[in-house]
Amino acid sequence: MQKKFSQQKVLGIMESLQGIQPAAAPDFFYTRLKGKMQPAERKKTFFMLRPAFITAVLSVFLIMNVVSLISIRKGAKEPVSMQSNKPATIESFAAAYNINTGSFYE
Amino acid sequence: MTEQELIFGLRQGEESAFKELVTRFQDKVFNTALGLLQHHMEAEDIAQEVFIQVFRSIQNFKEESLLSTWIYRITVTKSLDHLRSKKRKKRFGFIISIFGDNNLPVYEPEDFNHPGVLQENKEDAAILFKVIDQLPENQRTAFVLNKVEGLGYREIAAILNTTESAVDSLLQRAKQNLRKKLNEFPP
Repeated sequence: MQKKFSQQKVLGIMESLQGIQPAAAPDFFYTRLKGKMQPAERKKTFFMLRPAFITAVLSVFLIMNVVSLISIRKGAKEPVSMQSNKPATIESFAAAYNINTGSFYE
Repeated sequence: MTEQELIFGLRQGEESAFKELVTRFQDKVFNTALGLLQHHMEAEDIAQEVFIQVFRSIQNFKEESLLSTWIYRITVTKSLDHLRSKKRKKRFGFIISIFGDNNLPVYEPEDFNHPGVLQENKEDAAILFKVIDQLPENQRTAFVLNKVEGLGYREIAAILNTTESAVDSLLQRAKQNLRKKLNEFPP
C-alpha cells in the first residue's frame, strides 16, 4: 500500500508555486498567428466555389427545367380541339394559312 | 501607445496596432491558458484563438473594463470551453470502447511541468497541478489566476465578473479541496 503524504509534504506541495515565473509565449508566436489568420480571409473571397453554393444553384436550375418540362407536357397532352374555342373546320384551317377558298369558277 | 490608441488602431484594422496588442499580451494569455490547460500545444492554440477573437470582436468592446480584463476573460472562457470539449470526447471514447471492438489505448499525458516553476519545486509542482486538474472550474480558474498568473483579488473579480469577497471564498475552498485531495493522493 502506497504511503500517503505527510502534513509537511502536503504543505510543501501547496507552496511549490511560490516564486513561479510566467511562461513566455513560444517563439514566432506572432508569425504563426498571422499564418493561422490568412486561410480564414481567403475563404471569404471564394465562397462561390463552395460545394453548398454550387449545389444550391444547380438545384434551382434543375427545378426550373422540371417545371418547364411539366408545363410543356401538359400543353402537348391537351386535345387539339380544346386548344381553341372554335371547332376545327376546313374554313378555319384555310383562314389560318391564308388560302383562298373561293372556287376558280366563281 | 496608450490603451486608447491601441483600441483605436485595432478598430481601424491597423496591423501595427494588432502586432502591439500581441506583443503586449501574448505572454499573459499563453501563461493563463497554460495554467488552466496544462498542455503547451493546446495553450498555444487557445492563445492564438484568443487574439483572433479579439481582432474580430474589438468593435463590440464597450470599454466598460480594461482591455487586459477583457482579454483575460476571453482566455479563461476559451480555455474552459476547450477543457469541457476534451472531457466530452474522453467520455464518448470510453462509451465506444465498451460497445465496440475499438481497443485503442487511452493516451495518458505525462506529468505537467510549468516552465516557470523553480527547479527545486518541480516535482511537488507537478503533483499540485495534477490535483488542480480535479478542482471545479471556478475554483481552478481563481487559483490559476492568483497563483500562476499572479493576479490580485481585484483583477480576478473583474475578470470573473464577481466580488473580491467571492474570489477570496473561491480561493479558500480551492485550497481546502487541494489539501483534501493531497491527503488522499495518490487516488
